[in-house]
Amino acid sequence: MSDEPGDATATAAADTDTEVTGGFADRWASFRDREISTVLLTVVGVAVFPFLFNNFLNGYTQLATLMLIYGIFAVGFDILLGYTGLLSFGHAVFFGGAAYAAGIFSASVSSSPLLVLLAGTAFAVLMAWIVGFLSLRRGGIYFAILTLTFGQMSFYLAASPLAFLTNGENGFTSVDIGSLLGVIDIHGGVPFPLTMLVDNMLYVFVAVMTVLSVAMANRILHSPYGTVFRAIRENERRAEFVGLDVWRYKLMAFIISAAFAGIAGSLFTIEGNYVPLQSLYWTESGRVVIMTVLGGVGSLFGPLFGAGLYLYIENIVSGFETLGPFWHLILGIVFVVAVVLFPNGIWGGIDYVRDMVVGGEDE
Amino acid sequence: MQWGDSDVTLLADILTILLNGLQQGAIYVLLAVGLSIILGTLKFVNFAHGALYLVGAYLGLFITGQVPLNNGQLAEWGIQSYGIGLGFVAALVIVPIVVFVIGLLMERFIAQAFYDRPDTDQILVTFGLAIIVQELLRALLGGSSQPFPQPSWASGPIALPVVGNFPRWRLGVIAITAVLVLGVYALVEYTDFGLIVQAGTLDGEMVRLLGIKLSRPYLVVFGIGAALAGVAGVVGGPLANVNPNIGTEQLVPAFLTVVIGGVGKIEGAVVAGLMLGTLQVLLIQTGYAAWSQVGIYALAAVILLVRPQGLLGSEVDVS
Repeated sequence: MSDEPGDATATAAADTDTEVTGGFADRWASFRDREISTVLLTVVGVAVFPFLFNNFLNGYTQLATLMLIYGIFAVGFDILLGYTGLLSFGHAVFFGGAAYAAGIFSASVSSSPLLVLLAGTAFAVLMAWIVGFLSLRRGGIYFAILTLTFGQMSFYLAASPLAFLTNGENGFTSVDIGSLLGVIDIHGGVPFPLTMLVDNMLYVFVAVMTVLSVAMANRILHSPYGTVFRAIRENERRAEFVGLDVWRYKLMAFIISAAFAGIAGSLFTIEGNYVPLQSLYWTESGRVVIMTVLGGVGSLFGPLFGAGLYLYIENIVSGFETLGPFWHLILGIVFVVAVVLFPNGIWGGIDYVRDMVVGGEDE
Repeated sequence: MQWGDSDVTLLADILTILLNGLQQGAIYVLLAVGLSIILGTLKFVNFAHGALYLVGAYLGLFITGQVPLNNGQLAEWGIQSYGIGLGFVAALVIVPIVVFVIGLLMERFIAQAFYDRPDTDQILVTFGLAIIVQELLRALLGGSSQPFPQPSWASGPIALPVVGNFPRWRLGVIAITAVLVLGVYALVEYTDFGLIVQAGTLDGEMVRLLGIKLSRPYLVVFGIGAALAGVAGVVGGPLANVNPNIGTEQLVPAFLTVVIGGVGKIEGAVVAGLMLGTLQVLLIQTGYAAWSQVGIYALAAVILLVRPQGLLGSEVDVS
């Protein structure tokens, strides 16, 4: 890794972090910028989320679980789109592929949730290596179209030629998820102290994975490696001139984001005990694009927020009396407005308003 | 040498595959030519092109006959059917004009604001637009499939030499496509307008320096591209049922046709569209129907990897 920038920037940033001088706002800012606090905030967030969601927003725990799963997917996708500047329209391959791999693995090899998760993610990484290697030969729209091509190819492969594995259009139904570490029933209830916050084990499992994923994404993005991603997004040619192997970093960004998609896809199988064929169709890739852009590209929590909002509109707003039938239309309009007016998404908009009020500095 | 029965059957099979391939490819070609000239000339990536096809198909239904409404918001408001019943030829004339105007509006109010923004933003905004159009139609007219009746003068089979009976409408699709594509080709190749468009594609900066305004030709190019997509909806409608998903379903093969043929090349789009169509039909008719879709994507992937600029594309101008 000789071509990575030195740790100079990281240590410089750390130096400024430690200089806590003033009042509460400064203290808060310095707390917020530390990595461990991001993780702690995520822990608190996922812990209180189902309680707030179920009681104040008409939600239910299963939907909260699904929101976190798609949140992981979107956080990973943002590493590629928001931080490296590559728009893939084929991430359904990794989400759906991992979901199928996890399902088939659970049915024929082992039903241990952790192993299933590992198998699905490994499959997504392998696929990403191949698809990324081929698609990254071209940039811009060609990259988007090539990823779209491979995505559709895998959809049609799963639909009929590989139907003996995937069960074709009916989706894969023979998922078999056993107990966690041999003792904890993953679809069962939770022990006493936790019952105050959540009502089932599955949510706890997914929440732990979400925290780990956010911590991992945060670590990557704050490392020199992540700095290179941003350098490529800002100016690919300049990054090349500095001596960075741009192509290799792009491939790694692609694979890393697919690994997150793989975690999400495997969790999706564990959660639903079912893999729909639709999970490979290109509209699934479009979903994660919308979630990420809506929430806010180039921020860590934006995509999580976007995933939550998308699923909220899809599942809760769709039940409303008058607005219900138009939920997908509303989503489309919100999305277009976000692209035209708020390129940094809703999260970016919140940041912007906060900076206006508090008078924060530009990054 | 005598021609045996098996030889004639083989020849008939090959000709049937070619004719069906032509028809299958014709829709790809109609969509791809519009997409390609917009992408080549204006450097604008239009993910809403499938939505224009969708609008064309529904507009065609509306103009052709009376369509009963079973579900959707309009049905709930008490409207039982829609349509003005002017017949198919009227649809073939009116739809491109209306979609041409839609294209002009799209260029003025949406595309223009995005010419200077990155490709990814263009993809995102047009992708969002496609969703809006599709979901608006679904909400209003319901999601169920509507049969699009074939025009009475072109329904039923026609007896062709060697091939035998062949659906008359499929020949109609091939003929209409050929006329339209030749028309656009002539417009771009042999008129002053086409000359300006071609020059603008090569070096827009230089054309402007020569004192030629490019904004109007660009506007027209966008309109023509849109009109072709709309007409594709009318022509392709009777081949399958019409529902709100057909736009997104057609978009991906259309894009593939463009990039395989080479961006901005009308001839390229024709060659690529016919290739994809023929391959698809070949796989279906030789017993590999399950592989027919996989086949066209695999072919596309191979071509793009071996010849990134497309079959007839001149050079790689995208980083």
